[in-house]
Amino acid sequence: MAPPDSLTAILAPAGTTGPAPPRPVPLLRVDGLSVFYGSHQVVTDVRFELDRGKSLALIGESGSGKSTIVRAVLRLLPGEARCTGCVAFDGQELPGLSERRFRPLRGRAIGFVPQDPGNALNPVRTIGAQAMEAAALLDLPDKAGRTALILETFARVGLDNPRRVYDSYPHQLSGGMLQRVLIGLAVLPRPALLVADEPTSSLDVTLQKRILDLLWRLQRDLDISLLLITHDLAIAAERADSLVVLKDGAVQEAGSPAAVFASPASSHARSLLAAVPALNPDRYAGLRARGPRCIGTDAGVASKIAVSSVTKTFMVDGKALTAVDNVSFTVPAGTTHALVGESGSGKTTMIRLLLGLEQPDTGDISVADEQIAGRLPGSLRAVWRRLQIVYQNPFTSLDPTWKVEHLVREPLDRFHIGTRRERAERVREALAYVGLGEHLLSRKPVALSGGQRQRVAIARALVLKPDVIVLDEPTSALDVSVQAGIVEVLLSLQAELGLTYVFVSHDLALVRQLADTVCVMHRGRIIEHGTVMDIFDSPRQPYTRSLLDSLPSCATGVDPLLHRRPEPIGTIRPTPRALTA
Amino acid sequence: MTVALPSSAWRVTAASRLAVLRVPPAVALSFAVIALVIAWSIVPGLFTSFDPVNGVPADKLLGPSAAHWFGTDHLGRDLYTRVVYGTASSVESALIAVSIGVAAGGLIGLLAGFLGGWVDVVLARLVDVLLAIPSFLLAVIIVTALGFDTINVAIATGLSAVAVFARVMRAEVIKIRQATFVEASFLLGGSRWHILSRHVLPNASRSVLTLAVLRFGLSILVIASLAFLGYGDPPPASDWGLLISIGKNYLKWPWLVYAPAFVTIATVLSINRISRWLRQTA
Amino acid sequence: MRNAYRAYAAKRLVQAVVVILLAYVLTFVVVSILPGDPITSVLRDPQNGFTEAEIQEIVAAQGLDKPIPVQLWTSLCHFLTGDLGLSMRSSRPVATLIAEVLPSTLVLASAGLAVALLLAAALGYGSQFLPKRFGQGFLRGFPALFLSVPNFVIGLVLIHLFGFQFGFFRVLDPDSVRATFFAAIALGIPVSAQIAEVLIANLDHESRQEYAAVARGRGLGPTRLFVRHLLKPSSLPVVTVIALTIGELLGGSLITETVFGRTGIGSLVQRSATSHDLPVLQAVVSLAAVVFVLVNLIADLVYPLLDPRVKLIGDHRPRPAGADESAADTSGAVTP
Repeated sequence: MAPPDSLTAILAPAGTTGPAPPRPVPLLRVDGLSVFYGSHQVVTDVRFELDRGKSLALIGESGSGKSTIVRAVLRLLPGEARCTGCVAFDGQELPGLSERRFRPLRGRAIGFVPQDPGNALNPVRTIGAQAMEAAALLDLPDKAGRTALILETFARVGLDNPRRVYDSYPHQLSGGMLQRVLIGLAVLPRPALLVADEPTSSLDVTLQKRILDLLWRLQRDLDISLLLITHDLAIAAERADSLVVLKDGAVQEAGSPAAVFASPASSHARSLLAAVPALNPDRYAGLRARGPRCIGTDAGVASKIAVSSVTKTFMVDGKALTAVDNVSFTVPAGTTHALVGESGSGKTTMIRLLLGLEQPDTGDISVADEQIAGRLPGSLRAVWRRLQIVYQNPFTSLDPTWKVEHLVREPLDRFHIGTRRERAERVREALAYVGLGEHLLSRKPVALSGGQRQRVAIARALVLKPDVIVLDEPTSALDVSVQAGIVEVLLSLQAELGLTYVFVSHDLALVRQLADTVCVMHRGRIIEHGTVMDIFDSPRQPYTRSLLDSLPSCATGVDPLLHRRPEPIGTIRPTPRALTA
Repeated sequence: MTVALPSSAWRVTAASRLAVLRVPPAVALSFAVIALVIAWSIVPGLFTSFDPVNGVPADKLLGPSAAHWFGTDHLGRDLYTRVVYGTASSVESALIAVSIGVAAGGLIGLLAGFLGGWVDVVLARLVDVLLAIPSFLLAVIIVTALGFDTINVAIATGLSAVAVFARVMRAEVIKIRQATFVEASFLLGGSRWHILSRHVLPNASRSVLTLAVLRFGLSILVIASLAFLGYGDPPPASDWGLLISIGKNYLKWPWLVYAPAFVTIATVLSINRISRWLRQTA
Repeated sequence: MRNAYRAYAAKRLVQAVVVILLAYVLTFVVVSILPGDPITSVLRDPQNGFTEAEIQEIVAAQGLDKPIPVQLWTSLCHFLTGDLGLSMRSSRPVATLIAEVLPSTLVLASAGLAVALLLAAALGYGSQFLPKRFGQGFLRGFPALFLSVPNFVIGLVLIHLFGFQFGFFRVLDPDSVRATFFAAIALGIPVSAQIAEVLIANLDHESRQEYAAVARGRGLGPTRLFVRHLLKPSSLPVVTVIALTIGELLGGSLITETVFGRTGIGSLVQRSATSHDLPVLQAVVSLAAVVFVLVNLIADLVYPLLDPRVKLIGDHRPRPAGADESAADTSGAVTP
């Protein structure tokens, strides 16, 4: 599909002299862009080009400067930011343009879909009133025409009842609906370029896929160029025409997905590719084979965890809500069992029941031969010595006023284990286990990175030498490259210490990498369970299939990586004796 | 965005930690002002050689000069000396007031927030009722019942601020009690007392202390107002509010109002600036 | 939604009544349990010159010889029927004393509120429109300054400059329109600081929101962005803050009246305090609590109708998600 050259020629600056360029002027050209906050440089010499009707993905982890670049293009940076370099839209230099001349481009020629749909619409005005602002960019004479266009656009982006949406306030709609509204408002004036800043990161997996499908369908149908910002390499690779991989505000790699995947030039791109779970389902196979594997053989192996027919009902606004409905599963010692589900599936309630923080209405739970259900919290102390948890968010699970040494030692102090010197010794061992140096002992959590904090949280759980660790989405708050490190630590610990994990996650790709058995939860029930192989290779339930479908598969055209051997992992640190003894 | 938010939040706090080391000039100036005021209140004799009580009648109502920085009053006493000697009772009573507020309000808020249940219901209602009474009027009625002197003014000011401290402490404690790290400590074998003393209090104290600094400045204003209305010690005491109150009868010689007013404003402004800075770096 | 609002309104109404009653009880208890005996401190004070027979009469009339719980009960019953008791000093009904001076204070307080609102709006909205390097930081400094100045100082400065120096108003005629105007300024300035602080914080908060960036991305200029998007969400929460400043207005008018020599509730309080006339003080404090609670009740009832964000949950004050609890606390502080 060739871009319309005539239009480009008309829109090109009049003063252009010299020979015609060999290829049409790209719709968006960013060249040598740098952004500073005071003396702090957040974006360094970034360059890329986006042609008409094509899509480009800017990929980077947190702090990579990807959102800053987009805001620089849209000139939405806060006042204290300073920009240098060239941003040309349709051959027109944007930085030179006065705000007054640039403003007509915003919205009319460049549409913007923001990150968090819950916060992207004015809460005290109706959707319709805000849609009118977008419609006002077009030269439609009468209000009726504008309203009709808005309703038509709402229908186009898959909103079932456009009229109701039009009259609603933002807080009356769900996150998925709001994101559709925002996409609708962005494409309504038929811009030439649509910029989407992490449009799906706050949505559930099945919704993510539908929103991305919608974006690409609109891109194709309306012949819009799409600039997508994402942290998710797999999503980008699946759909975009070209990729730009960023790190610390600088471009690491650029090219077509096929090229980037087949022969990544930069070490960052290589490690990123290796870290994405969806692209490397068997990454940890070698590591896992070393542990005591005993999957599927129910005979002879004692189960560490047994949950049978557990039901828990909450009263919410006078209505009974069954959060966990007749759930049963068992976990053999030394294996990883995954609870998978979207938000509201009951997986969080299930682990609170497992820990004894909530009492089930009916059913039995036992962990490491200790009965959990029906016991008072006071008598559960002994159980917690053998049953620990690693929370989802290391930014809230560590007391900000404590130092690392104190944090890791707290469980030993509370359970009065060992002498002072023995405790100090065990703290150091636990830190060595999770790969943290002793120089961190006197730091407070605020001076640690997210990955380091989660390692501290794991060390805290580990220092009591428990049998079972509950992992509540332990990596969902972390970047993918950090996640890989944490997963590696967890698996090598399991292999060495024979730990049993209950792993709660919404990320199927990650589950596939590290779990042995899986329960898929939906609205409080277990709708399907089995070994990872069973569930992933032959799902029986439609819901499970829709979850699996929403996994980005790079089977379309760019799959060479899937067949590449993953880098061998398994250089296990020498085991400190005290912990295994 | 689940991935970037926490770590960008981390970067912000890390950056603000660094900012603690670099004190902005306005804050440094504020600390200097407060240091001077504290020095005045501890050793007033070091800063002036005049007598704060007995004046030289021949020198009455002189304008500001090199000899008398703030001029002299109607009895020929050096006004600067009167201000310096009045500092102790003005600042100390504000300190007493804030201590009462922090101790009583903090305890009420802590009990209400940590124990919950009916204790919380009763205490929270009590705080609501206290908040419904305009605090300056509450202070007036308390000091009237107690009797007019500077200590009672301080107590009244403190009692009228109890509700505000209780409310902030309760909100903080409830917030922290629900934090994941508290549940984590519980699962790691922590007792209620351990959680209260080692996790909840240290985390709540920061915002309560910030509030205490702010209320310290406000207490100086309230106490000056009560002294201005004549509820504190009578002359020859020289509380800042009382000095202004005396000065208002001599508006032809305006420095009698402006000089003590300037000292009061500079002190409160400095304290407020420090409080704001503490809140930003928290 | 309608039913939810009705249930909410009924609940708030009952709560307000309970709080008013408890506030009355609390002031009564404070006055009764605090050390200091009104009989000895007032009636036997030789300055007041009561004879022993008169003292007995007053004690009987006030019921001071009965146990405190009985006194509380009678006094509460009287309060509910609108009977505020007798002044201990003049033996006149307290309600009459208050009614005589109330109009003057109401005029001053309303004028002060008007000044506070105008000034706060000027500072708040001005801080958004003035360019960064010219005047914006200057405007933003004002609330902090205003919060650090005792309002009697503002009053004295105004009297000195505009009364004595320029002769804009006659100091000896404090109830004249001009003098009231300047008194209202003295009263309004500290109150304006609290409102302006919250308004500026809200405006900053809202303009940093994603929706503001998205609206700009939709091609809106700064003026339209402000008028259509920022004005309403940032100004609405100020309604509750204004209601909270009623307490400051009442406390502040007490001082302002003294400074300007006006008659009013303030001078009544001042007279009653110096003569330890506790029945009058207690009545004034209870009435102030009634006014405060009623104004806040109205604000709480109106607010959910104005702001679609508010969800009516239980008995919490309606507050939008953005409003910072601690900011409201620190700014809703006493500034006499």
